[in-house]
Amino acid sequence: MADSARYRLGVDVGGTHTDLVLLNVASGAIAVEKVSSTPANPALGVLDGIGNFVAKGTPPGAIEFFSHGTTITTNALLEMRGARVGLLITRGYRAVQEVQSQARDGNPFDYFYDKPEPLAPQSMTREIGGRVDYEGNELAPLDEDAVRRAVAELHAAGATSFAVCYLFCYTNPSHELRTRELILEALPEASVSLSCEVLPRIREWPRLSTTLLNAYLQPVLVRYIGHLNRELDKGGVETRQRFLMQSNGGVMPFSAAVAGGKTVYTLFSGPAAGARASAYLAGEDAQRGIVTLDMGGTSCDIAFIEGGAPLEVTEVTVARRPLGVPALDLTTISAGGGSIAWIDRGGFLCVGPHSAGADPGPACYGKGGEDPAVTDADVALGYLNPGYFLGGAQTLDAAAAEAALRDKVAGPLGMTVREAAAGIRRIVDMRMADEVKVFAAKRGVDPQDFTLLPFGGAGAVHAAAVADELGIRRILVPPRPGAFSALGLLCTDVVHDYIRSELRPLDQVPPDHAESVYAALEERAKAELAEEGLDSAASVFERELDMRYTGQGYELRVGLSGLGAGGLDAAAMGAARDRFDDHHARIHGHAAKERPVEVVSYRLRVRVAVPKYVPVPAAEFTAAPAPKDAAKGTRAVWFDAATATETTLYERDRLPPGAVLKGPAIVEQFDSTTVAPAGWTASVDGDYNLILTREG
Amino acid sequence: MPDTADARRKDTAVDAVTIQVLRNKVASLVDEMHYHFYRSGYSTIIRESRDFSCVILDARGRLITPPPMFFHGTVYPHFVGRILELYAPEDIRDGDVFVSDHPYEAGVPHVSDMGFVAPILCDGVLIGFSGSIAHKADIGGTNPGSTSANSTEIYHEGLLLPPIKMCEGGEYSTDIERLILANSRQPDLVRGDIRAQIAATRMGVTRMQELGARFGADVVIGAFDAILSGAAEELQAAIRAMPDGVSTATGYMDDDGIDRDLAVKFSVTVTVAGDDIAFDFSESGPQAKGPVNLRPSMVEACVFYSLIGALGPDLHFNDGMRDVVKFVYAPRTVTNAESPAPVSSYQKANLKLVDVILEALAHFTPERAIAGSGSSGSLLVNWQQGGREGHTNLQYEIFASAYGGGAGHDGASMVATHLSNLHITPIEILESEFPCRISEFGIVPDSGGAGEYRGGAAFRRRYELLQDGLVVRRYDRAKFPSTGIMGGADGRPSRFVLVDRDGKEKDVPAAGRFELTAGEGFYLEKAGGGGYGDPSKRDPEAIARDIAEGYVTAEAAKRDYGYEE
Repeated sequence: MADSARYRLGVDVGGTHTDLVLLNVASGAIAVEKVSSTPANPALGVLDGIGNFVAKGTPPGAIEFFSHGTTITTNALLEMRGARVGLLITRGYRAVQEVQSQARDGNPFDYFYDKPEPLAPQSMTREIGGRVDYEGNELAPLDEDAVRRAVAELHAAGATSFAVCYLFCYTNPSHELRTRELILEALPEASVSLSCEVLPRIREWPRLSTTLLNAYLQPVLVRYIGHLNRELDKGGVETRQRFLMQSNGGVMPFSAAVAGGKTVYTLFSGPAAGARASAYLAGEDAQRGIVTLDMGGTSCDIAFIEGGAPLEVTEVTVARRPLGVPALDLTTISAGGGSIAWIDRGGFLCVGPHSAGADPGPACYGKGGEDPAVTDADVALGYLNPGYFLGGAQTLDAAAAEAALRDKVAGPLGMTVREAAAGIRRIVDMRMADEVKVFAAKRGVDPQDFTLLPFGGAGAVHAAAVADELGIRRILVPPRPGAFSALGLLCTDVVHDYIRSELRPLDQVPPDHAESVYAALEERAKAELAEEGLDSAASVFERELDMRYTGQGYELRVGLSGLGAGGLDAAAMGAARDRFDDHHARIHGHAAKERPVEVVSYRLRVRVAVPKYVPVPAAEFTAAPAPKDAAKGTRAVWFDAATATETTLYERDRLPPGAVLKGPAIVEQFDSTTVAPAGWTASVDGDYNLILTREG
Repeated sequence: MPDTADARRKDTAVDAVTIQVLRNKVASLVDEMHYHFYRSGYSTIIRESRDFSCVILDARGRLITPPPMFFHGTVYPHFVGRILELYAPEDIRDGDVFVSDHPYEAGVPHVSDMGFVAPILCDGVLIGFSGSIAHKADIGGTNPGSTSANSTEIYHEGLLLPPIKMCEGGEYSTDIERLILANSRQPDLVRGDIRAQIAATRMGVTRMQELGARFGADVVIGAFDAILSGAAEELQAAIRAMPDGVSTATGYMDDDGIDRDLAVKFSVTVTVAGDDIAFDFSESGPQAKGPVNLRPSMVEACVFYSLIGALGPDLHFNDGMRDVVKFVYAPRTVTNAESPAPVSSYQKANLKLVDVILEALAHFTPERAIAGSGSSGSLLVNWQQGGREGHTNLQYEIFASAYGGGAGHDGASMVATHLSNLHITPIEILESEFPCRISEFGIVPDSGGAGEYRGGAAFRRRYELLQDGLVVRRYDRAKFPSTGIMGGADGRPSRFVLVDRDGKEKDVPAAGRFELTAGEGFYLEKAGGGGYGDPSKRDPEAIARDIAEGYVTAEAAKRDYGYEE
């Protein structure tokens, strides 16, 4: 390896594995490592993985770009290991955090209901005098003494992080800003999260919830990034180009994570990297439409990409709490390799939601798991090679898989082991397909002409069956399905989102007022970019309006791209209105052009390009049957429970561009297995994607 | 003449995998129908409140999988049963859609809830029905919006439609549509919603026909039977495990909205003997003059909800369960009213009945015992000077309350309870759209009934009027609070308090209509949940936490629990 080679590194920390992708900037070549995650201190796993590259000859100093996906904040939330938060609210409104939305989640028949544990209980909450109205007029001044008292009391009670959420602060943030000054006067080291900065949006409960999440997790993230920074320095990874993946599909520099206020953007960021990779790397397919199927050990994440971009939402739920920042629109079902098959009280065969996880894992892992999981079914049917799982790093115990299937499913239901295994697969595959159908219907999307893009360890094992059920005829299996999310980390820009709520009928919003709101947001964005050491001259601003028909409960996001280039004017505002009607018709099936529209919020997204993975130009190729040396034998595979089909096995790394193989066939590789049943043809394209197409 | 499912039903042994695949597909289809309807619905009732349900039924009208709005699920067998009485099999054809909003003929909760049911035929075989029920913005009657707290006859509550064909062989009857719209104060909204609802209902038919063509009509019918009998077996096994015995419970609502001094009595006797369970409502009070009467379809919803909650909340509800449970009613009672008794305010009656049934069931499943909960209620303000510019002048909110304490479990505070599960409207939205100021939204300390496991606490919400307003409050639990059980104390009663310009307060009934002027105000306190068990047995650490969190005052801790720091 030449000394002068430069590299970019993407590191995605998952629950069980940490995936690393090392890109050679000059050649475009990619190397992949997979190491065990170290949940107690995730930085250790990151450094382990880097160590593997170093051992193979990559000098750490040659890494010029480091992009990181982490579940550190999500895990801290799930395990309730966040900071001790003190909460300041407007006097008289203690019920907001108790009532929440007032609706219950979970099983509607279970009256022994519990709300999620509060991030700041009432005893850590103080009421502060001061009130502004819906237009931002001050009705009562901020009670500064009350703030000082509250800070002293909460500090004495152990608070290290403060959340501040006053009513209507999105119309007038002065009380919250002054409160921060008072907190920092008393406690210069305190972490402070203001709702007017974290989520300056109308609706007090989602704003409070989002602000609390930020306050609860910010110290965790700051500590982790600080630690990782030191470890990277120690490990000789000198680059300052260090970035963190966010839920909005972009990255932020480590400096932004340390500065605070954006911690909540790291929740839910895991699936965003895979979707970014799909949109970026499968460009043509992304224009036509992609369904992503990220099937791992415990669950399957499904997302849509349309017109080149993943669909987004502005309200998600994380650990049962509302989070109001933009995130990838995805649906998750409990269908993974570890999902356990069981028989319910009515005698029906069910799969999931319980998962065997990584430990003990499916029965075939041989770690003492006695319940049959989806992976056991895949082994019993011959889809997976017991001797070549994770590139041979782990062997699977086929006898244990069959025993679990026999004892827990086949025996009680009077089936053969293969029938039980085929039944489990059928139930899981149909559920994934049904979920895609319902999700598509909800989003006004018709996925039939879409490409199915499976990734995660198990996605390509199940993709053809899911596609058949959906009528999808094209599947794109990326070169490294098991490390696809890590690769996605090298495919993103820096993205920051800003919002300001101001409820007013659209026809009462003077265009120059709208322009000034955006200008103020742009000023703030530029200032933050400068603090992060990024060049705001290289940034692109995207404006959006949240609008709704008067009387509606919820608004839609409408992009203003191409409107009002020289400043918003009446024509641009009219065009925005038309876009809203069109958008509404698409999402909700009808529009009411005669009804007045109101603006709820102004959104600004700033995008700063950072170096990205550019795939090497597609190889020239001519279609030809797969070379003989790519075939590595045959195995009995039960595509249906009754018949074993002797099926050719291929080694993915030995399939050159242009190689064509007809199903039934199994393609094995280090990090995944692709199943091509009869009727499907697989071919390798110039980007080394494996393209499965349905004949006829 | 089409074969009925019964005539064609043979011992088709549908395999366990196919049954599960079809069960999942029907659940997905119902989800898709809901979304389709929600997307295309016209009124805010559909789009925002989502006050509707879609279902798939077998050929006898038996529900296969429950809708999110569970209490609509028990209506359909009554609705389809009536259709099968009225129409000969050969008169039920592909493309037909039946409509009814009749509480007495179709079992719908109240006249505002309009139901549609369409037969699913595969190759001439009736394999089931697709159905939906949705609240309509206005279907006539005495009051704008059709719902009422003081109607005295069903005829006051809107235009009654017995089960009739709105579509025949795919032809939509514009005559019937015109008849309905001529009786509505909101014809545009109702037209849009009816059409969207029929489209969603028909979508269920089309999708099920596709499944029938793919899997075979016999397989679908066989799978439905297996799904229904599976739920029956689950429930049967759970009942068999209950001890034999008899248990009676009784509870009261404040009044019926007409006779202010007459409490409304709900009573049930539950008898378990071997495999059998019976719910006898004969001792419930006579049918009420005001609109708090229930039809058996609603009583059944209360029973199945309570039974599943008491036995194991993971039981799968479907109509297979009906084969296992016996209902007994006396004629002309509040739980089995006869036409023309009014039914418009059925939900608060449902929620009182659930408390009573759960109290009786606690005898058999003491580990799931729960004290009385705080019910749900609504607030309507009609802004007399037109409200804020650009916004409607009609403010409407639905409020949650609190759960009772239970065996080993404190009641959840400030949350929608039992059959009710709607969202609260944010203060920032209300003040932005309506000329009001919400000057307090706080916790009512000591509102949860004392007990070893405390009842949930309630909230207080205070309003100042910036314009004149007509205020309509519909609630309960002021005279008869949520009951404590096993030695636990009752929850604190609800209050509705008018506040004049000088700040002088006046308590008024939980349900009523009040004309207020700008500068005046009011506040409401929801009822807390009842307590469970002897308060002296409460864990002192839990009491200390309650005091620290502001749920219980130090004085009440001393008085009710004998607790001193």
